Amino acid sequence: MASGERRVHLGYVEAFRLGYSHLLRRLDRSTLNVASIALGLSFYTSLLLTDTFYRTYSTLGGASLSVEATYYWLVAIALTVSVVGITNAMLISVQERVKEIGTMKCLGALDRHITLLFLIEALLQGIIGGIIGYAVGVVAALLTTGFTTGFDIILRVPVTQNLTLFVSSLVLAIVLGTAATIYPAYRASRLDPVEALRYEL
Amino acid sequence: MSFDSVIELKGLKRYYNVGGETVKALDGVDLEIGRGEYLSLVGPSGSGKTTLFNMIGGLDRPTEGIVEIDGVDISKLDAYELAWLRCRRIGYIFQNFNLITVLTALENVALPTVFAGTPHDEGLKKAKKLLESVGLGERLNHKPSQLSAGQQQRVAMARALANEPTIILADEPTGNLDLNTGTEIIDLLHGLNKTRGLTLVAATHDLKMIKASDRVIWMRDGRVEKIERG
Repeated sequence: MASGERRVHLGYVEAFRLGYSHLLRRLDRSTLNVASIALGLSFYTSLLLTDTFYRTYSTLGGASLSVEATYYWLVAIALTVSVVGITNAMLISVQERVKEIGTMKCLGALDRHITLLFLIEALLQGIIGGIIGYAVGVVAALLTTGFTTGFDIILRVPVTQNLTLFVSSLVLAIVLGTAATIYPAYRASRLDPVEALRYEL
Repeated sequence: MSFDSVIELKGLKRYYNVGGETVKALDGVDLEIGRGEYLSLVGPSGSGKTTLFNMIGGLDRPTEGIVEIDGVDISKLDAYELAWLRCRRIGYIFQNFNLITVLTALENVALPTVFAGTPHDEGLKKAKKLLESVGLGERLNHKPSQLSAGQQQRVAMARALANEPTIILADEPTGNLDLNTGTEIIDLLHGLNKTRGLTLVAATHDLKMIKASDRVIWMRDGRVEKIERG
């Protein structure tokens, strides 16, 4: 038995498959997490979009309008709250899965495989939450500005600017969702299989 | 007759510190388990059965003494090698089945093959065959919650076999089953032991399991009290 053969694996494809199953089949909790990201993100994007719409409006000859600076503080708070909420939900999720994690370790999972599984779940939640959050943000921004600037303002914003905003909010959603899960994932990965298997919910 | 041992325990001790007091879960166990042997671990709760089970399974490290699997001292293995040992050499069967609730029977059985690096399709094919061999060919896509206790334990058995281990460790495998399903599981385990030459170590209270085994190890207070031929 050469030491080179003595390896256990968890490919990214398999890890995604497992993470996806977990999300899909624990739909209640994952939906809440996604909603949490989506809410924070929609506030963020709606604010940035409103600002963009106003600026586009003024460059097109309309009145000069702007978003109040205090709103940005509110966004920061909203995002922090959603991160804390996700961390909490993921910690509960780890607690629910203690036995499962112990079992996986018995079947050959390494600590970092467990971390990977949780982070992939966070990543998927982040992507979905980001997309939904952006969509809601667009609607919200249109509703706040549309009556002054006209609803076709979204079409007047340069495409690249819209795209940049979309990408940046998606990245933010992923970063926040993942950051919120780092600690729970670490906790999960450090579980001792003996204790974990004995654990009763 | 030469004794080809697959598991060897030498002066094995495991002490826990509980609230400032030392609990001697294992207090000097010497034992050789032969290849293809069917061994029952018997003893009252707190006698050290489960600790011994965890030691052999590479789930826990001894305070003192040596656990050798296939001649390799497992305390010398790093995390990777230990995971490999759990993955490829040992199949675990638990009293509570411990199936992954969100995965189907087929996915549960295929899970160990994922960690073994088996390609996805090949792993599923293998899992399907194993489930058929334990009589669950019709229930591949059922979730654990849709299966009876006996069926769940058969899924767990198929999972334990997924990477063709040489050792099966069973912790009270019939503890949560009624008499008939328990007998079915025992027969399946016994069959595996005989036809595949798997080494089977089972912690149990079940008289039927004890009767079917080659040797019975009676544990008490962290020591081997007596060894009986089955």
